[in-house]
Amino acid sequence: MNKELEHRFVKELEQNQNIVHKICRLYTHDQDSHNDLFQEITIQLWRAFPKFRGDSKFSTWMYRVALNTAITLYRKSKRQISTQDFEGVSFKIKSEEYDDTTEQQLKLMYGAVKKLNDIDKALVFLYLEDKSYREISDTLGITEVNARVKMNRAKEKLRKILNP
Amino acid sequence: MDQLDKFKKEWQTREQELPKVSFNDIYKMLLKKSSSIVKWIFIISVAELLFWIGLYFIIPEENMILMHEMGIGEILYYANIFHFAVFGLFIFLFYKNYQSIQVTDNTKMLMKNILNTRKTVRYFVIYNIGMFIVSSIVVDSFFYNNSNKLYNAMDFASKGVPKENFANVFIIAQVLVGVAVIGLLILFYWLVYGILLKRLNTNYKELQKMEN
Repeated sequence: MNKELEHRFVKELEQNQNIVHKICRLYTHDQDSHNDLFQEITIQLWRAFPKFRGDSKFSTWMYRVALNTAITLYRKSKRQISTQDFEGVSFKIKSEEYDDTTEQQLKLMYGAVKKLNDIDKALVFLYLEDKSYREISDTLGITEVNARVKMNRAKEKLRKILNP
Repeated sequence: MDQLDKFKKEWQTREQELPKVSFNDIYKMLLKKSSSIVKWIFIISVAELLFWIGLYFIIPEENMILMHEMGIGEILYYANIFHFAVFGLFIFLFYKNYQSIQVTDNTKMLMKNILNTRKTVRYFVIYNIGMFIVSSIVVDSFFYNNSNKLYNAMDFASKGVPKENFANVFIIAQVLVGVAVIGLLILFYWLVYGILLKRLNTNYKELQKMEN
């Protein structure tokens, strides 16, 4: 592989790495697994990069490869099963708008999303990232109508987890 | 506005505390080896293909001589040609399916292609176990019906094996060994599929369920 391509890829990934971290955080339960998955996604992105034609944004293309790796290619390690959920999401808080209740609610909601199955989690993640149903259906390989139906069911599941 | 929509608003507007991997660390990761499920499937599948093909090369010479003495050498020769043609076909299908696995496909397609690759190898194994059973039945019944010829060909008299009940004991021993081998193989595959493909199968079914 030529150096220029390598450089361009690393630069793109460095700038867009938050997407990968968010996916790693949703699909793993401890820091070591998070790092493992990040590395696996990086390898898969790099392998696929020569075929990236640039007809979509790098970040759009990343969602697909990163989610595919998290859902399908990544082998969960044993330690991941045995350890408890780590702190989960943490939003940066501006001191003047700090609100303990909202913070608690966000944490609970994030915990509920993590409890969903792999596919529902991907659906909800893309929804949170403000992707259209068209993009969601393209990424997962289902029809747009089914993506909407499935999303409503996932919302229902979340409601049940939060209000048992 | 439901709870998820409120969460979405926060997700969009607030910045999350996320780790930061440096340019140099990402660079180093490019040199690391993948440990994806596809790699494991490839390794296990190639090992299986080699195992079953290799079995044909470790059959002892005496066995072949015995088959010739029993008069079924020629049939076995043609059966082997057929086997290797089937092996070739399976290797071609496996390679073609493996090549179709692209991480840039949509999730459902990716899962389908991985499962198809795996399925090719599974059919290959089923074919081999099936052939093992069929050929054992055919050869053993032939031996049973020609037990005198077998007794002489294997020179059991000089080894002190009594001729009475020889055929029955021989068949029972063959069947027991056959059942044990098949049992072990089934256990092995049950474990391999169970460990490696459980999550993939569950997720694929979940995606398929949506389309029904």
